[in-house]
Amino acid sequence: MIRFDGAGKRHPDGTVAVEGLDLDVPTGRTTVLVGPSGCGKTTLLRMVNRMVEPTSGRVLLDGTDVAALDPAKLRRGIGYVIQQAGLFPHRRVIDNIATVPYLLGWDRKKARARAAELLDLVGLAPETAKRYPFQLSGGQQQRVGVARALAADPPVLLMDEPFSAVDPVVRAGLQEELLRLQSELHKTVLFVTHDIEEAVRLGDQVVVLRERGRIAQLADPHTLLTAPADLDVAAFLGRDRGLRGLGLRPAASVAVRPIPGGPGDGAAGRSPHGVRFAGWELMLDDGRRPIGWIDRDAAGAALEPAPGFRPDADTLRAALDAAVLSPTGIAVALDPEGRAIGTADREAVLAALATRPPSANGARQAEKAEAATGVKAEATTDATAETDGAGGGR
Amino acid sequence: MDDEPLVRWYWIGDHLGYLGDLLADHAVIALVPVLIGLLLAVPLGLACTRFPRLYQPLAAVFNIVYALPSLAVFVVLIPYTGLATQATVMIPLTFYAVAVLLPTTVDGLRAVPDPVRQAATAMGYGPWHRLAAVELPAAVPYLVAGLRVAAVSSISLASVGALVGRGGLGYLFVDGFQRTFPTPIVAGIVLIAVLALAVDLLLVGARRLLAPWAVREKGAGQ
Repeated sequence: MIRFDGAGKRHPDGTVAVEGLDLDVPTGRTTVLVGPSGCGKTTLLRMVNRMVEPTSGRVLLDGTDVAALDPAKLRRGIGYVIQQAGLFPHRRVIDNIATVPYLLGWDRKKARARAAELLDLVGLAPETAKRYPFQLSGGQQQRVGVARALAADPPVLLMDEPFSAVDPVVRAGLQEELLRLQSELHKTVLFVTHDIEEAVRLGDQVVVLRERGRIAQLADPHTLLTAPADLDVAAFLGRDRGLRGLGLRPAASVAVRPIPGGPGDGAAGRSPHGVRFAGWELMLDDGRRPIGWIDRDAAGAALEPAPGFRPDADTLRAALDAAVLSPTGIAVALDPEGRAIGTADREAVLAALATRPPSANGARQAEKAEAATGVKAEATTDATAETDGAGGGR
Repeated sequence: MDDEPLVRWYWIGDHLGYLGDLLADHAVIALVPVLIGLLLAVPLGLACTRFPRLYQPLAAVFNIVYALPSLAVFVVLIPYTGLATQATVMIPLTFYAVAVLLPTTVDGLRAVPDPVRQAATAMGYGPWHRLAAVELPAAVPYLVAGLRVAAVSSISLASVGALVGRGGLGYLFVDGFQRTFPTPIVAGIVLIAVLALAVDLLLVGARRLLAPWAVREKGAGQ
């Protein structure tokens, strides 16, 4: 566990970056520091590996004051990922990844073997190993950055806006990858971002900071979105926080109506299957994958897209989105192979929205809790206590 | 020089061995100082990057020496090094090489992107180790660029040394002027140009070998 114990930073010119923060970053979980630029989040992150020395208070790593540790040794045990990846331009990808193992004195063969493993773990092709960083795309560079941070298997990972410099599609992919990695590796992750969307997506607990590193709210993502501590936090979360909250809840709670089996009376030559809804018909291909909706009452009407969602993997937000986008208001429920297994109309989705989720957390959080049983309840309690503390202090 | 043609080929044919000796002598006088200059400039550059306050005074010293006319410096050194010794010419040339290479080394080390430096620190490199293992290799393209300037200027300046007795190919100029005989002058100019070009190509090749990652980076607009 990382504990900030009244950790503060005052610059020599008298400006205060961080007043003094008390925060516990639980082991094996992802804690996100989010806030506007200048709130001191990067300063706080860097206190952990002593790239910034606090001018007041302490930072404890598993109970030891980091100030008592040799900076170089401390840092070799902490993975660090930054915005522009910061790969060494003169080293090939494989040797970039093997940096910390080399520093730790591993022999070359072992270090490279480990680096090759990590290349695979972060989803890069083996032939990437021999490239130089300038030959990679931004997203690939960032993956190498993550691999490099993980090379010596450090228990703690510090990530400073690691995905901010890549385009939204790549960013979403990298976030997905981080969630997958974290579900396997259970690192103690301290993640800094200014993007609240990213914060609620990745964090087990989210710390909303205001200027000078003061905690505005500390909560799990669902609580944050549904119960912001005050108007400032609500404003920071943005107008559609309710909708974003749906992104944390599983689509499994939507009541799906099964599609009757067997061939329908599909348009001749186009589809052997069809399911009628009022004047519309849902066209399926041979593999029962949806092709689109067709308006039977309009002569010669073109197919319109049939948006779907996966109850086993998607969120309520995706289900609602599919229902809203569908010309009939009906979303198609799909199995992992993309076959239609049923339908849900807008009412069915809205009914699922109305039910409170069983836990305060969404699908992903629930999954994680299974993976790390026991830690979950404790973390939530901590989070609540901290929130109350911060609220009372103001 | 009324009837004298620009080049008398027989002279060149008769003096091939002599010209070869002068060329070798010139290469040593001009390039050894560049090598020594590199060996001085790199540690000085590293020190100046680690302790930035060193840089301005050091650069000033070398720039002042660089600003002095080379012939004057040679003459000043003669009482200490003697006439017609290589040191008389090589010592000033070493200073000139450092004057060129120190700023390029420091610029190269400073040009390493901040994220790279931060990442290296965050992974547990100490300040000196990081300079040697990360910043210096990343500065190689800058160093080679500096070496190209230093080498060519040293090759050209070395010929002035002929006036104090050691100038390699520069002797051909003195000889040609004294005898109003242009052939050695032309031969000297061509050989100096060939030497400069050869060394330059060699350095470009060295960069491709030492910093293959930098060859296309410039074009990629990084």
